[in-house]
Amino acid sequence: MKWRNQMVFVTGATGFIGGRICERLVLANAGPIRALVHSPHKAARIARLPFEMVRGSLLHRESLRSALGQAKVVIHCGLGNARGIVRGTENLLAVAAEAGVERFVHMSTAAVHGLTPPPGTETEDAPVRATSDDYCDNKRRAERVVARFGRRGMSTVILRPSIVYGPYSAWSTRLVQSLRQNTVALIDGGRGACNTTYVDNLIDALFLSLDNDASSGETFFITDGEAITWGDFIRAHVAMLGRCELLPEISSEKVLAYYKQRPGLLTGSWKASAQVLRSRQFRELLLQIPLTQRLLSGAWGWLESLSEDKQQRARSRLGVRHPDEAAPAGAPIPDPVDFATQTGTVFFRIDKARRVLGYEPRVLFRQGIGLVEQWMHYANYI
Amino acid sequence: VDALINALPNSLHAPVNLEVFGAGAHVLCEKPLSTTAADARACCALAEEKGLLLAVGMNRRFVGSHTLLPIVLQERSLGELLGYDWSYGGAFDWKSASGFYFSRALAGGGASIDFAVHLLDSLIDWFGPVVHIDYQDDDWGSGIEANAIMELQHEGQSGPVKGRVRVSRTYALSNRLLVRGTKAQAEIPSDDPDTVVIRRQVGSCQISETLRLPDFPPTTTFYKQLHNFVESVRGNQKLESTGWQALHIIELIEQCYANRRRIPEPWSAVALEPGGASR
Repeated sequence: MKWRNQMVFVTGATGFIGGRICERLVLANAGPIRALVHSPHKAARIARLPFEMVRGSLLHRESLRSALGQAKVVIHCGLGNARGIVRGTENLLAVAAEAGVERFVHMSTAAVHGLTPPPGTETEDAPVRATSDDYCDNKRRAERVVARFGRRGMSTVILRPSIVYGPYSAWSTRLVQSLRQNTVALIDGGRGACNTTYVDNLIDALFLSLDNDASSGETFFITDGEAITWGDFIRAHVAMLGRCELLPEISSEKVLAYYKQRPGLLTGSWKASAQVLRSRQFRELLLQIPLTQRLLSGAWGWLESLSEDKQQRARSRLGVRHPDEAAPAGAPIPDPVDFATQTGTVFFRIDKARRVLGYEPRVLFRQGIGLVEQWMHYANYI
Repeated sequence: VDALINALPNSLHAPVNLEVFGAGAHVLCEKPLSTTAADARACCALAEEKGLLLAVGMNRRFVGSHTLLPIVLQERSLGELLGYDWSYGGAFDWKSASGFYFSRALAGGGASIDFAVHLLDSLIDWFGPVVHIDYQDDDWGSGIEANAIMELQHEGQSGPVKGRVRVSRTYALSNRLLVRGTKAQAEIPSDDPDTVVIRRQVGSCQISETLRLPDFPPTTTFYKQLHNFVESVRGNQKLESTGWQALHIIELIEQCYANRRRIPEPWSAVALEPGGASR
């Protein structure tokens, strides 16, 4: 497909991956580019770029129709909360189909197989099953919607990257923050499969999928193709901080036993919901509604009026761990989501992307981490 | 109407100011005074011609340290001035219905015209006019800068002073001003801008003292600014932040934009098209 002179529409443009896609489109002289912006105050990064930002929401088809304009290529990185992931994808596909969009690239995730992908999911032909995690399940449902539109004739591509890192990535910024707070432990010596995907490698694959008509209707795992472990990833960030001490270690058995002792410690979707509920943005949104304002302020007032001990128990029931909580042995207990993410054994294979797209990861882990370090210095994180 | 507060999007500051002056009312205009120096000059000239007040929302002039730091400089307690470093930044989180601040046409620019104007206003007040400025930002061309770095040289009563300003809409910076001297250094901390902290070495000890104005009212800078404007309209006070002062800042920002260099971003440039080697 000759796409580089076509109008390209990007969703999720204010996010880490979408923002870098916008930069790469500019570097590739592609476009014109239109970037969907739902929350303009988050657009500082992409506002630096010479293209049009258009207001709209994935949840409102009318706004999508006007935002899409004459775009012939759609790169969908937008998310949304819970079922919004599915509904937003469906809305965008419906509007794109009406508008005669010629190629729709859906940024999915290898996490459609869950936060801890089971063995046997290394290649794209593995069946995708329900997990216990809302995000993973909704991304899986969104893939099904994309496939449905593909069967109806739209040219679609699904990319499934894994741990996408690079400048601006929260994987790095959060990790550095946690390392500073000494709340990081290597689980099982850090042997878990990390499946790093340097953001520019992913975008190489994205551009190749647009170049190549054989990608239509296909799904691709995209990683750096290196067997990087979580231990490698975490230690690389320790080195950025100029630290050389050994990280505490904890076995997954101990972590699981600890979780078992805390029956109120909810995981997966419940935990994600609790995080949303306690987020400032969500509270601000709810506070605009008078009845909720009364209920919520009461609930938060009640929580904050409790003693530290009682607050701790309430947090635990909500699945919200106190950051400095540690196992009796002294090693920090990982967040249940981090635990699930860091204990996988599956390294996804990129043979199909290599064969069909001609994809070859250009930025190796050592180089990628070097670029992250340069950026972290500039961005005042280290 | 005796006076008007103009808090419209930046591109509407000058036209509305001019209209209001035409109707004979005073104006407190949100910063920046305008998106161009020509418009700012027109506002100042018309206000003067009509005998009306033009105040500009440089509310940082009303923090305690704005008054304290010149006292420290006059006392020469820092010794010979070696330079200053002022960084201010954080993730942009200013919600507006229109999102005008990310349109060059409506906002006139990004982090520099939006926020660095505050820092430049204070610095010029303390160290004198800027005689040289080297400016870099991260606008990729016809966008809006999120980050800017300025190397400045002043010529004022304290003699020549060099300094560096960094502002960011994407990164949390140290958010403090540090003025270095041969004998001591002064800091305006971000968490208490009503104070100036002096640090100096005594023997093997570093001692610090926190200076604070006596009986400094605990009201917000916005309240103090509004009060100053109202009392100035009544003829009881002198305006703390005038249009002419703001004009100099807009001229400086305009000069920056005209001579801008791009901040190097090697992590961005590494991405070549597939087939182009980056290894």
